[in-house]
Amino acid sequence: MRKLLLLLWLALPVCTFSQGFQVNLEGEKQIGMGHTGTGTLLDGASVFFNPGAVAMLPENYIQGGISPLLFKSDFNPSGTSAQYYTADKVATPFTFYGVWGPKAARWKLGLGVYTPFGGLVDWGNNWQGKYVLESLDLKAIYFQPTLSVKITDFLSIGAGFVYNMGSVDLTQGIPLTNQAGQSGQAELKGNGKGYGWNAGIYIKIASGVTVGITHRSQVTTTISNGNAIFNVPLSMQGYFPQPNTFNASIPLPATNSIGIGIYPSKKWTLAFDLNVVSWDVYKALEFDYGKTTPVLQNSISARNYKAAASLRAGAQYKYSDTFALRFGGGYASTAVADGYVTPEAPDANRVFVTGGIGYKLANHLNLDASFEFEHLMPRTQTNIQSQLSGTFETNVYIPGISLSYHW
Amino acid sequence: MKFLKQHLYIIAGLLLITACKPEIKTPKPTHGSVDFSRYISIGNSLTAGYSNGGLYLQGQQNSYPSIIAQQMQSVGGGVFNQPLFSSAQANGSGYVQITGFNADGTPIITPVTTNLAVRGQYTVPGFGNVILYTKFSGDIENYGVPGLKLEQITYAPLGNLNGFYERLLPNDAPTNNTPYLAFVTAKPFTFFSNWLGNNDALLYAVSGGAGDVLTDETLFAQLDNYLISTLTAKNANGVSPKGVVATVPDVTSIPYFNTVTVGAIVAGVQKQAPSVKGIYINALVSGTTYAPRLATASDLIVLTFPTSMVGKPVNTPYGPLPYGLTPVTPIDNQYVLDVNEVALVREHVLSYNSTIKSVAAANGLAVFDAYTFLNNVQKYGLMEDGIGFNSAFVTGGIFSLDGVHLTPRGYAIVANEFIKAINAKYGSNIPLANIAGYTGLLFP
Repeated sequence: MRKLLLLLWLALPVCTFSQGFQVNLEGEKQIGMGHTGTGTLLDGASVFFNPGAVAMLPENYIQGGISPLLFKSDFNPSGTSAQYYTADKVATPFTFYGVWGPKAARWKLGLGVYTPFGGLVDWGNNWQGKYVLESLDLKAIYFQPTLSVKITDFLSIGAGFVYNMGSVDLTQGIPLTNQAGQSGQAELKGNGKGYGWNAGIYIKIASGVTVGITHRSQVTTTISNGNAIFNVPLSMQGYFPQPNTFNASIPLPATNSIGIGIYPSKKWTLAFDLNVVSWDVYKALEFDYGKTTPVLQNSISARNYKAAASLRAGAQYKYSDTFALRFGGGYASTAVADGYVTPEAPDANRVFVTGGIGYKLANHLNLDASFEFEHLMPRTQTNIQSQLSGTFETNVYIPGISLSYHW
Repeated sequence: MKFLKQHLYIIAGLLLITACKPEIKTPKPTHGSVDFSRYISIGNSLTAGYSNGGLYLQGQQNSYPSIIAQQMQSVGGGVFNQPLFSSAQANGSGYVQITGFNADGTPIITPVTTNLAVRGQYTVPGFGNVILYTKFSGDIENYGVPGLKLEQITYAPLGNLNGFYERLLPNDAPTNNTPYLAFVTAKPFTFFSNWLGNNDALLYAVSGGAGDVLTDETLFAQLDNYLISTLTAKNANGVSPKGVVATVPDVTSIPYFNTVTVGAIVAGVQKQAPSVKGIYINALVSGTTYAPRLATASDLIVLTFPTSMVGKPVNTPYGPLPYGLTPVTPIDNQYVLDVNEVALVREHVLSYNSTIKSVAAANGLAVFDAYTFLNNVQKYGLMEDGIGFNSAFVTGGIFSLDGVHLTPRGYAIVANEFIKAINAKYGSNIPLANIAGYTGLLFP
């Protein structure tokens, strides 16, 4: 009688968002100096780096920049000599900052629009992990109005409100084959939003050293009624009803930073930052579908992230009034515990080096360019959930350019 | 000139980026202590690539020996020829496919009867009909023959009784007299895999203990010793071929016996007739004595049992009685592997496996313990590259629609287990196959 109910296809779309998603590209001057900026005062990007410092800016600013990013990952499955690469796709995190206040006032207003989280990987539909992930395009764009007040000549504070516009587009193979031999595919596509805040303090110590301390809050981003698109063999479509929706919620973690700026001479600026990112809030990822069937169930997958830290250092050398050179680098520890590494963000401890130049185009107009190279250490892992086993290694290349007008 | 210079920097920058593409260092390919230049595979339907109740081109192309041979290419593997059906006769012996689902979620399974490679039929007096297939005359490295038992490897008339073997031999039945072992060892080889023995127990089991007999355990040991000593005998170059062997799976770990259950049949009957307490089977008492009794959950019903027969009136000396529901009209023996038959099969399989392992150990061969592996899959399931597998019929992903043989993905999993055993034994590093690159069952 072959009495069977198609109760459980074990492999369901259980998708994940994760660490390597923090994008540290919030200002070309700062990128050039190893992405430091909590304890220094360079330009309008302080809205992001330390809202407390904004009131100390000597001028008003309008500036915008873009840092096209190529995340090139390699996967070597265990026990093989195969190498699978992500496609060359360029993400475009951008920044916009405006800072304004009357010359004599003790306060300044600021607005920042920037991309603190995002990810773009495309492994294609022909690689060993295609049933874990084919591609992911994730973006979080923060809008941050800010108020900063100078309390004394050596102390200022500031805070901002954060509105996050997030979007996700994820594709994953479904191991159901049609008669032409093609696999099924799930695509989860949606927009979400979230709210948060940030605040900072900026202090000038008598010796000339500057210190900044900031907190950027967690921004829990909720995607509701995203599109859940399933492409499966015709006879299976009853188990994957269309149209369908999904809800998911992602905690984008809080970051605490402390930074200092040191000024050995008129020409030199040295900066150091320490960031601690509270990825440990990311315990599990849950997907709830609008319509479920015995085959398509809501999914919960454990993430069990841990807090991560990064140490950054950078320097600026003012060659002349019109030309500055910058360089820096740092180290960031991974948030992803062993057994939880996934192809969306094949995260590992990383090192990075940066360089940049600043050029004064005109009296009020500056051009800044930067380049960052990141290397994620090879990491050999077997994922607890998918059993995808192998070594990931990643290089990231990020040129960047920005224009700032100040008066 | 300045323009060119600027562009040169851009080009240099791009080259730098390309040069910095991450590259994970992998161990150098090595064949270890083995020469893989001519690998031959010995076995039955599983080795031939039989799937979905038949042997056909697509199944052959995904046979586990062909997957192993492909993976061996990087460590000195040679050409691996299979007796493939032609594309015009790609459906070979015919097979079954899913053409839809019933409202209750059960699959509609339909035979494929076009583009067959059947060339005729030959009747053997006292044996039955043998279906004859289009001859294959090219070189062969995959010697998998569906239906082959270890018991038959020295049996000269086999080429007249097994249509899949007859297909490989030059002569037409009934003039063949080449024993299987002589056929496969006619040309020198350097490496072999052997997965024989399943049918020595399985054919008895799938016939519900009614249509075949279990191979005697002592005879199995003698023949396995003979087979392995013949295969490992020094070749013309004075070298003993190395090899890998596999154990016989617990035949009760396959969906053929675990999909249709006594409980499900009884529950189905009770929907119409709530008073029915159970179904009757004709069960083994001891020796060859069978007697009717109520079935229990330990009695296994075969996948091919037409459950609609249950309850249909059967003429008996006591008048018409419902099939399967009285001791007078028990379910026929051929549909049931009862608990005593299960025990008998288990006892034989355990004995075969202890023979296979000890003979392999004595000859320094690698062993893939398919018995343990498939039992673990049945108990715990298996997750590979994000694909969940288990031993269930249709949904499990490993077994094909006949409930015995595997899907391409299932064969890829088996190939990887063979490869792991070979690498562990001989210090080679044959790369593992990409399971996600193979298909499961095909759905309309």
